[in-house]
Amino acid sequence: MMSNFEGRWVVVTGASSGIGRAVAIELARHGARLLLVGRNAERLAETAAALDGAEHRQLVLDLARLDLIAGAIADARKDVGLLYGLCHAAGVVETRPLSANTVQVVQSQLDVNVLAGLELARAVCRRDAMLPEGGSILFISSVYGWVGMPGQIGYCATKGALAAAARAMAIELARRRIRVNCLSPGLVMTRMTEEALEKLSPEQGAKLKSAYPLGVGQPEDVARAAVFLLGPGSAWITGVDLPVDGGYTAQ
Amino acid sequence: MNSQEALDWLCETFEEPPGRIGETTTREEIPGWDSLGTLSLIAALDERFDIHLSEQDIDGLKGVRDIFELLRRHDALSA
Repeated sequence: MMSNFEGRWVVVTGASSGIGRAVAIELARHGARLLLVGRNAERLAETAAALDGAEHRQLVLDLARLDLIAGAIADARKDVGLLYGLCHAAGVVETRPLSANTVQVVQSQLDVNVLAGLELARAVCRRDAMLPEGGSILFISSVYGWVGMPGQIGYCATKGALAAAARAMAIELARRRIRVNCLSPGLVMTRMTEEALEKLSPEQGAKLKSAYPLGVGQPEDVARAAVFLLGPGSAWITGVDLPVDGGYTAQ
Repeated sequence: MNSQEALDWLCETFEEPPGRIGETTTREEIPGWDSLGTLSLIAALDERFDIHLSEQDIDGLKGVRDIFELLRRHDALSA
């Protein structure tokens, strides 16, 4: 097995399920040590049990509690030492047409998808938290940060915001050799997307899936790309937003 | 705020571990005090003490001694 990460510590949010879970598993296969962050203690423990290696930590945290993030990361840092990376894979989606797209609906998505991501990066990138050699930050955005979709105004806004913030962060942090990138998955079958699809008719769901030239994706497809952007193989890549989408945005 | 509290506040501002910054520490000795660190310092002085400085004013600060003098001038530092 490869050991690119050589025991370096990576924080992964959304680790209880879906893309976050797959990223954690793939990172552990490549020798990273994980700080798993999720809301559900039971599912987080299940993810931990699936990882290679034994030193990983679990951090039960509701990222909507933005005020708790800095302290939680500082505590974790005292426990495990200096950190190398962050993969913010936690995200929420609220499908709403504009008429029902209230401030509250948009805010709740902004809080977890964007503000929590920025807060996590702020905590992880502190000079007393990150390895002096630098590190790698990855935000899981979405093809919906690139193109629009009815009912996704709030979600699209948050995913576009992530990509723009990541670019600014990349330029600011390059001097400290901290790379910052985004990854934009297309439709990947996870709990989150399945729940969202349930709200559509079977015909609408089928139409959505058929829009993918290479078909619908799996969490592992995203995880492999995530490990590349987090690891030493992408040492000269920063400020990018990589679509991993079966060709969706190339159309 | 007393001197020790001010040093702790500076450590926090420049993200240095506590105890790493002393009264004689110069700007060059603080890794976090680069051009971006300067922006952090301006923001911190504004938020914590309501002291408004320009980047030019801050350029004149060569180390902790100068910052302490500034704080004293604004009655923000006891002792």
